[in-house]
Amino acid sequence: MKSVGVLGWELPPFFAGGLGIHTLNLFSILGKILDITLYIPKFTDKDIHYNFKVKMVNYDPVGSPYERNKEFYQKVMDYNEILINEFDKDHDIIHMHDWITVPAGIKLKEKYRKKLVFTVHSTEYDRSGWFYPQERILKIEKEGMMAADRIIAVSHYTKKIISEKFSINPAKVTVIHNGVKSSLFSSFNKNYDLKNKVLYFGRVTPQKGSKFFIEAAYKVNKYIPSAEFIVAGEGDQLNEIKNFSKSLGLENTVNFYGFVSESESVRLYLDSDVFILPAVSEPFGMTVIESLSVGTPAIISKTTGVGEALNNVLKADFWDTDKIANYIIAVLKYRKLRETLGNFGKLEASRFSWENTALKTLEVYNSL
Amino acid sequence: MKLIVMFLEAHQPRRLSNFRYQDIGIRENYFWDEKNKEIIKRISQNSYIPTLSLLKDYSVPITLSFSGILLEQLWKYEPTVPDLLKEYFKASGGEMAIESYYHSLSSIWNPERFLNEVRKDMDIKKEIYDKDFRTLRNTEMIYSDKIDEIVNQLNVKNILTEGTDSIISKYNPNFIYKTPFGHNIFLRNYRLSDDISFRFSNREWNEYPLFSEKYLNWLSNSPGDLINLFMDFETFGEHQRKETGIFEFLEAFIERAKDYNLKFATVNEAAESITPRGQISIKEYISWADIPRDMSAWLGNELQKDLFEILKSLEKCIPEEIYNYLLTSDHLYYVSLGTTPDITVHSYFNPYGSAYDAYINFRNILEDLRLRYCNGN
Repeated sequence: MKSVGVLGWELPPFFAGGLGIHTLNLFSILGKILDITLYIPKFTDKDIHYNFKVKMVNYDPVGSPYERNKEFYQKVMDYNEILINEFDKDHDIIHMHDWITVPAGIKLKEKYRKKLVFTVHSTEYDRSGWFYPQERILKIEKEGMMAADRIIAVSHYTKKIISEKFSINPAKVTVIHNGVKSSLFSSFNKNYDLKNKVLYFGRVTPQKGSKFFIEAAYKVNKYIPSAEFIVAGEGDQLNEIKNFSKSLGLENTVNFYGFVSESESVRLYLDSDVFILPAVSEPFGMTVIESLSVGTPAIISKTTGVGEALNNVLKADFWDTDKIANYIIAVLKYRKLRETLGNFGKLEASRFSWENTALKTLEVYNSL
Repeated sequence: MKLIVMFLEAHQPRRLSNFRYQDIGIRENYFWDEKNKEIIKRISQNSYIPTLSLLKDYSVPITLSFSGILLEQLWKYEPTVPDLLKEYFKASGGEMAIESYYHSLSSIWNPERFLNEVRKDMDIKKEIYDKDFRTLRNTEMIYSDKIDEIVNQLNVKNILTEGTDSIISKYNPNFIYKTPFGHNIFLRNYRLSDDISFRFSNREWNEYPLFSEKYLNWLSNSPGDLINLFMDFETFGEHQRKETGIFEFLEAFIERAKDYNLKFATVNEAAESITPRGQISIKEYISWADIPRDMSAWLGNELQKDLFEILKSLEKCIPEEIYNYLLTSDHLYYVSLGTTPDITVHSYFNPYGSAYDAYINFRNILEDLRLRYCNGN
């Protein structure tokens, strides 16, 4: 049995970001057929059972990989140092995830002469919204891509960034889309009576384009003053967005729900007419698949990776809030449009599964 | 001698402009005439002009139809094409088919409107070409016994439609049949037609490349009185670009047909020289579109049905000079969500990016018109 050492950062139920969800779902499946050991910072003293081995590195993370400050960078470097010492040299493959595990990955490859796989969930360009990306992080990402024997990108959109912005041979990059936990989202029967609710669900950051959501809300409000716009999520930009919304006189139109758990999110999707993701640069966009799985139509930016595999969503440039507003109004006004986008979208979303993701990841391992 | 009955359909809709909800009550230009002009000019250069010149040079008798709304746009943007058409008819004895002027679906919901459209088409074609044309080709070959009954009120002699799988399992499309009301009915030989219109330049096709000798051999070995080759006029030069060798093929095909004991004839000439082989009754609507060959290309999903119902309900209040152009079937065709192979064909023709965009656009326009002319009812 092949042995894979996975260098991770977060794992539900703790720090359940996109990276954590990916790690849990993918390796729960691969853990059944491969000898998987996941290395993560020690986030608990409790003994939690997973379908794969978990080795907690004695290091308190305190922070999310999405934070963009100096302290966080230093913490990543510290974690990577410790990781190298605790790594078991008997693994056949080292699998790193995003820049936060790259320094250790590269050193371990040199030290033990093992094959190195690098999954790129997002690049510094995405996280910065293409606005002053941090050079030192770009450098780490580039080094990781150079050192890796194979790179996995979560979309063709991301593969393009890897080859064009980092000058990496695209032949080395395999695109593997994320899956969705279908049982959680798809077991509901959505009804398409008008709820008059428009949903934004995700971190409130420049990357996700929350500002454009507010702009669209302002434009829709002129035509449908009764429509409620929900911002569910937290992030660096939350206060700025709240102020922006207030400055446009949308106090009674836009409501901020704060942090929302996974189970609450299902309810939110169900109770909304349409989900909006106007991301400036979104490598995949798992929430789009979640929303569609529930049967809620989605309006997404053209710079959202998952859009490349979807016909039954509405796509606009993230900055084109006139067009986004036209789409929102149409979905709210025209019931047949809601129904058709919802029903066909649900069908299309059902094609995404973690089993597929696992199978394709296995092919990458086997090709080494 | 077996006859080759070639029928070419030329049609371009008057495409609707990109119309946002925010435009309602403000904008009044519902038609994307800049785009329409660009497309008409392009297709004229790629297809109409070179193909008509070729047909004229060989004086080969075939049947053509140019939809009323295409002729209108040609007069406006590319009048050399209608002139060339005239020259072709003079040189060859070719035939013009008649159809619903606005290329609409009126035949399936409003017989009165349908008859008016066909009469208008007949009148205008008679006026230009000074001839009574008596071959009917309804929008996209849509046909059933009901349509046979409706057109009985007109001076129509021949009807063209699709040879669907279920029909040709009982009736060889290489013969002429009679309809219940006594019209001659011609069934498209879709295999041999699609060999040119769809497969000609397809390198994956095991018969690629298609040369005229091979093709004429197939025709001469296909048993019956005639071969009905019905296809889009735009096949020549637009769908199959000149670089594919389509014009060289067409020339050789015309020139060598006689060597295979094959002769070109118009629909009407064929009807005069061939005895029909019995009667065909077709209960459900058929068409030549998509794989199901029924109405689903236009009315296959809820979005299309929604638009069609609204359109019908606004008949009495929207001014006719706008309403007629909204009836063109293409506006609904763009909203098809179809199956995978058909989707490729649909998106090739779709100027709006997606079926959903086409729906939203059309729906917004109908909303504007409803508020403007129908007191919001």
